[in-house]
Amino acid sequence: MHANSSSQHASTKPPLPEQGGQIGYENTTVTKVPGWHGIIAWDALLNGMAMGLFLAAAVSELAAPAVFIGVAKVAYPVALVLLLVDLVLLVLDLGDPLRFHHMLRVFKPSSPMSLGTWCLTIFSLPLTAAAALSVLAKLGWDFERARLLAVVVGLLPGFGAAAYKGVLLSTNAQPGWKDARWLGGYLTNSALLMGCAELLVLSAVMRQTQAIAILRTAFIVLLILNMIPLGLLFANLRTIHAQLYTRGQQWRVGALIAVGALIPLGLILLNGGLLSISVAVIFLLADSWLVRSVYVKIPHTSPLEVRSGE
Amino acid sequence: MASREHELSALPQTSDPPRGRLSQLLARLISPYLHGEPRGPVPEVLGRLIYPFVRGEAPKPQQATGFYTDTTVCIGCKACEVACKQWNQLPSDGFNWSGNSYDNTNELSATTWRHVKFIEQFSEQTSNVLAPMGTVSDESPLNRWLMMSDHCKHCLAAPCHQACPTGAIIQNEFENVYIQADICNGCSSCIAACPFGVITRSEMGGHSHKCTLCYDRQRDGLEPACAKACPTQSIHFGPVEELREQASKRVDQLHERGVPQAYLYGDVPSETYSAMHSFYLLVDRPSVYGLPDAPFNPWLHMMGDYVRSVAGGLVAIAVLLVVVFLLKP
Ligand code: SF4
Repeated sequence: MHANSSSQHASTKPPLPEQGGQIGYENTTVTKVPGWHGIIAWDALLNGMAMGLFLAAAVSELAAPAVFIGVAKVAYPVALVLLLVDLVLLVLDLGDPLRFHHMLRVFKPSSPMSLGTWCLTIFSLPLTAAAALSVLAKLGWDFERARLLAVVVGLLPGFGAAAYKGVLLSTNAQPGWKDARWLGGYLTNSALLMGCAELLVLSAVMRQTQAIAILRTAFIVLLILNMIPLGLLFANLRTIHAQLYTRGQQWRVGALIAVGALIPLGLILLNGGLLSISVAVIFLLADSWLVRSVYVKIPHTSPLEVRSGE
Repeated sequence: MASREHELSALPQTSDPPRGRLSQLLARLISPYLHGEPRGPVPEVLGRLIYPFVRGEAPKPQQATGFYTDTTVCIGCKACEVACKQWNQLPSDGFNWSGNSYDNTNELSATTWRHVKFIEQFSEQTSNVLAPMGTVSDESPLNRWLMMSDHCKHCLAAPCHQACPTGAIIQNEFENVYIQADICNGCSSCIAACPFGVITRSEMGGHSHKCTLCYDRQRDGLEPACAKACPTQSIHFGPVEELREQASKRVDQLHERGVPQAYLYGDVPSETYSAMHSFYLLVDRPSVYGLPDAPFNPWLHMMGDYVRSVAGGLVAIAVLLVVVFLLKP
């Protein structure tokens, strides 16, 4: 009915549009894409790795100090390094990185970015304390109570810093992202899974047999559990994926993600050695990164019809 | 043009007096920075650090203002676009033939705050005969131009405003959505949030910009540059209440004159979106004009998303705890 016919132009032969012109506005994407590219996929990964490692270590240490105290003391400094790298990425992704601290002039719970920044900032303090006190303990200065206090204080902001990320990337008007009701559920769940995996590697490196035994079981259960929010997330994204990718492409990526989850599952089930644990965890992290990049790419990808019309 | 932009942004700006003791103290501390006096590296760093924390006195609330754009009288002259660029000293976007009718502006962005859209609706057989407005109906072939001057909708509950983590985006005393350019740090949340694709981040400086509804002119009692320039009064500016009345009268008038499809877009809230302080009179579906048919405020989902996010984490922690307790020696 509303054929924006180009027949008018046909008789006068206007110069061709320079860059794939579009007639009318019916089928254009209305929203604008924020410049959130690969950095954000890495940020989502590092966010989960840092907060997940801290939470997994803290929860395990508080529940069974005798088993986990050794590995936890290594985990906190590692988590701090991961967090710092993540923070650098976040700052670099700003349009004006020198104004990073402007985030701290207000606290706005309506803005997931604001809540997240505050959680990250507050969390960095007890995490730094826990990491520093863990290192000091290795060097012979043991402030056990203060260290435990730092760990406990870090729990809530650490959890918040992991939980906001998915909400930030689903509370917006972007195609696909706006339908991702389970992104947050998946990301937070996956953070704990990755944290558990990292803790498992550290235990393996430190030959903590009891910790390895417990974490292997936890890892297997968490990995299977994580399939639920992942499946729900992909169900949310089915419509948009169908618009962006051919069936073949969807199957290939889906298979890749499934294999990326099954390999670590098989490896950990079969063998508790350092090598198989390390390989399993590398696969898991790669898989987690893949899911995040597939997600981050959505608004940057133009729909199939538009592409075939080019 | 670009260098002029830099010059302008470097000029000292007067701002509202600091509010409260703390802000007064902070302002005094960084006074050379605030007043653009020559300074060394230490005052510079101190100024940059402290500046965003200095609060200004909030202006007294005024009558809410907005735009009512009657697209049926728009002639596509782009005077509003030019006036906007000129008044707000926005840089050029270069020039590209889009191939889409007379629309070579293409889109709203950090440097384009007004965008005149052209929609050609002509049927093949009668492409040379322009039917008068009144004869348009669903059965007869359409022979008409639709033109629409698009800009920020100044949403009452604006997703960009809800998303902004720095407080750079505010609702000012005229209930217009305004970005404080000196506060924005270019996080892009507002770009992701706006359902109308109004905001982008400028390459120059890396901050977000959009229509200010000529906040500066309004504060001086002037009407916005685009409304002033519009030769057909397609763009009406004024108190929102009055505009709504005026607009609904115009819709009635059009209905009487045989344009039954005329309606207002955004004048009243819908179930999924707030009212907009700039609203439009349209004669075709919103998507024909490149507007969302049913705008949706993403924040309606936020609470649920948080619940799922927290639940996903808590369940994992619970599982970990159970395993630890079951297996620990
Ligand atoms: S149209 Fe977009 S930029 Fe304008 S107020 Fe609404 S959400 Fe903000």
